[in-house]
Amino acid sequence: MPEALTRGLNPLLILAALALAAYALFGAGPYGLRVLTVAGVYAIAVIGYQAIFGQAGALSLAQGTFFGIGAYVTGILGSTSGFGFAVTFPLSILAPTLLALLIAVPVLRLESHYFALATLGIGQVVLLAAVEWQSLTGGANGIAGVPGIDLFGWRVGRGLPLALFVWTLVALGALLAWLLGHGRRGAAFPIMRETPVAARTLGIDIDRLRLEAFAVSAAYGGAAGALTAHTQRVVSPEVLEFPVMVTILTVAVIGGQGRIAGAVVGAVLLIHLPEWFRGLENGYLILYGAALLATIVAAPWGIVGSLERLRARLIPERPPAAPAASAPPARPTSKPSLPASSAPVLYVDGFGKRFGGVQAVSDVSLRLDRGRILGVIGPNGSGKTTLINLITGLEKADAGKLYVSDADITGEPPHRRALAGIARSFQTAALPSDSTVLEAVTAARIAIDSDIATARSHAMHFIVQAGIADLVHTRCGALPPGPRRAVELARALARQPLAMLLDEPAAGLTEDEQASLARRLRAAADDGIAIMIVEHNMPFLLPLADRILCLDEGRAIAEGTPGSIRRDPAVIAAYLG
Amino acid sequence: MPPRMPPWKKTLLTAALAAAVAHAAPASAEVDIPVLVPVTGFLALEGTSQRNGAVLAIRHAADRLRVRSEVIDTGTSPEGAVTALERASGRGKPLAVAASMLGTQMLAMLPLAEEYGIPLVTVSGTASITERGNPWVFRFFPGDEVTKTAHARYVVEELGRRRPAVIYQTTAYGQSGQAHLRDAFAKLGVDPVFEEGVDPGIRDMLPVLTKAMAASPDVLVLHLHSGPTALFVRQAAASAAGIPIVAGSAMHQPSTAALLEPAELKGVCAETSASPVSGGSPEIEKFTADYRSSFNTDPDAFALGQYDGIAMVLDAAAKGAATPEDIRDVLSQTTYKGLAMTYRSDGKGNMARSATIVCYDGASRIPAVAKRYEAVAGQ
Repeated sequence: MPEALTRGLNPLLILAALALAAYALFGAGPYGLRVLTVAGVYAIAVIGYQAIFGQAGALSLAQGTFFGIGAYVTGILGSTSGFGFAVTFPLSILAPTLLALLIAVPVLRLESHYFALATLGIGQVVLLAAVEWQSLTGGANGIAGVPGIDLFGWRVGRGLPLALFVWTLVALGALLAWLLGHGRRGAAFPIMRETPVAARTLGIDIDRLRLEAFAVSAAYGGAAGALTAHTQRVVSPEVLEFPVMVTILTVAVIGGQGRIAGAVVGAVLLIHLPEWFRGLENGYLILYGAALLATIVAAPWGIVGSLERLRARLIPERPPAAPAASAPPARPTSKPSLPASSAPVLYVDGFGKRFGGVQAVSDVSLRLDRGRILGVIGPNGSGKTTLINLITGLEKADAGKLYVSDADITGEPPHRRALAGIARSFQTAALPSDSTVLEAVTAARIAIDSDIATARSHAMHFIVQAGIADLVHTRCGALPPGPRRAVELARALARQPLAMLLDEPAAGLTEDEQASLARRLRAAADDGIAIMIVEHNMPFLLPLADRILCLDEGRAIAEGTPGSIRRDPAVIAAYLG
Repeated sequence: MPPRMPPWKKTLLTAALAAAVAHAAPASAEVDIPVLVPVTGFLALEGTSQRNGAVLAIRHAADRLRVRSEVIDTGTSPEGAVTALERASGRGKPLAVAASMLGTQMLAMLPLAEEYGIPLVTVSGTASITERGNPWVFRFFPGDEVTKTAHARYVVEELGRRRPAVIYQTTAYGQSGQAHLRDAFAKLGVDPVFEEGVDPGIRDMLPVLTKAMAASPDVLVLHLHSGPTALFVRQAAASAAGIPIVAGSAMHQPSTAALLEPAELKGVCAETSASPVSGGSPEIEKFTADYRSSFNTDPDAFALGQYDGIAMVLDAAAKGAATPEDIRDVLSQTTYKGLAMTYRSDGKGNMARSATIVCYDGASRIPAVAKRYEAVAGQ
């Protein structure tokens, strides 16, 4: 039997799918088929929603709006213009997708709750338009007489044919979603979701990924809306109202965030649940709410996520074999090549940055040379981390220029700076806690390698080199501080950077770990990487660094060899004491 | 839509039907009358009235018929209504269905009802449900063209006001009513000085009231749901608007009046098909008493309309109408004297053509009938 059929929950999911098919074919009456059809419609909407909410980790509240727009396009074109399914269905997908692309520019850059509020606001505007634009939408009465599905002369009747048609689309939608979320894109999502800042510095264009996920979610929402118009035969503003969005969100959370199977399982359960209690008149809402609450408490990772964990605990599976490590080729020639040995790899010319009334960095210039280590020291608040953020593009400099290999990249976004050859680590190791070490390091290669298998193989090379091959299947959230630092360094090295900026890499490490880290950094420098280390740990830094730059109140107060810096009166006064 | 029948043929058929049902033995088989109404959501108050009216009619028929009835909440979405109808029809073939008063839900149920051949008995006022040529829908509540004609005529002819400010809800109910009010006022040569739609979720009516008063109206004409009506009337009373309010049918509901102090209701009138709590006949008083004892609340016109509609169905069943087709024929071709009025289809399923204006005196929450409009033209 193929391994894919026996891995994880797959046997259970296959059995459930067969049981559902048997129920539809042999057990369900018109009512059962109707509920199953509605569940299929919501499954499609939620499979799409998993892209933006589950995969990209952005709480979009616009999926109900995309759903409603799809329904209205089908309603308007189907009932008033007489177009068939072959025309209305693609247009119902296209219209919300175009809207998503249009609104993406202003809203996708917003973070967390601001993004949620913005998408909610868009929904309100569209709802208002549907109610008020009576000549087009029929106003609050909506549009009645939406025809059934007629595909090139084949009329899909209500009941079993419609249920099978919708569920065939569910299967196709699930397959397409799997293909879209697979491979390099799929590998980028966890780090983009959990540590978006780190993702940017790994060369991952998370704005583009979010845009793609938003557009995909809109397309699925539109498809589901079109199908709901055909199944209800009427379109009214209710399809744009918040309860639709709440249902979609609830299905995603209960089923299992980010999981395609979760979307399907959640939709089947959530749409059937109120029907099981319907005979209790308005009392069913109490039971429905209680059942939802119980599910969330009992299955905090969603039904599919919790079942996966349960199975992993009860029937542990042998982790998949680690890919064979293969050394990546030297940095491709299409990328910026190493400069002549006399020219700096990275050059900062007069960086300045002000946060409100605080001048965090003021007229700081520095150079990182090939094979050399620059240590940056200074008291807390002196601008060391801000300097790294300015170089990597996480903060925008108010003044100054940045050159890598003589190319001016001052205005470039973080992922382009990463692609230009800058890698970094963070003060607190920024690793996706749910990802394995292999997945975390592979994320560093997805913007470089042509396919995921190659990326994994190259990542494995750096994992082995870092001496952490035994942790390859360990989740990053379970790593102690030392190995976390090692993984983050392996990830930075996996970028094959020209310049590597490390923010307090020795913090929290034992003396042995510090010594090991120092050896690896020296080896990396010997390989030609220009390194900048921000550090308070002088016994670690001073023997390692070739030169030291000292900052105080955002200004460079001294630069020189470790020996000269140790004796510099200004440094002693400001920092070394 | 069935082909139009010549008058002589219609008369003969009606006579034959009447004879048949008059001589039929009372049915002994169980009949199924599902009640598919919104008992949750923003229309829960009105939907519960519908439910109670239908349930009371079924209880009152218990000595003549064995009736099976399940109440299924439709919520307020079309999807919920269609699913409820599928559920109800999945257990056999219902003789008729007490169907939601929400227009969008009715519009969604109509194609399925036609396909399954199930009469839908409703009190929905949304005009378009009987304008789609569907022979399976029967409305036991005057449509907007009737009630809004009465509404506008009372404002203009009885109160002598010619500068109305119209505030309506941005729902199917609200937009349908506003369109008919505009037509009715136009026929009376009156142009509203102010018109604005209000979302049902708005919790402060002062802004729209202030804007309306700035247009110098001489009457406030409301077409709002229950809660918003009460809120508007309260804020109008508090701000001493000083001009009469003639509201939509929601204001006649005891549940709406219960949200207000009697003094706040002084000078407020409302259109409705009937006001059971206002009395008027021994039969209505008995209905009101039974309703109160059964449900511990006062009935409104929706309850009475739904009661009359289901009572007409059960009366036909008791007299021998055994199939949904029989019920459809009886509803569409015979006359029934209900408690609120005498019902007869206009050929499209509109059974009610009378409307009433009731007014509050400021001393109690029981309104008095101020004007009755019989056989209002239109529909």
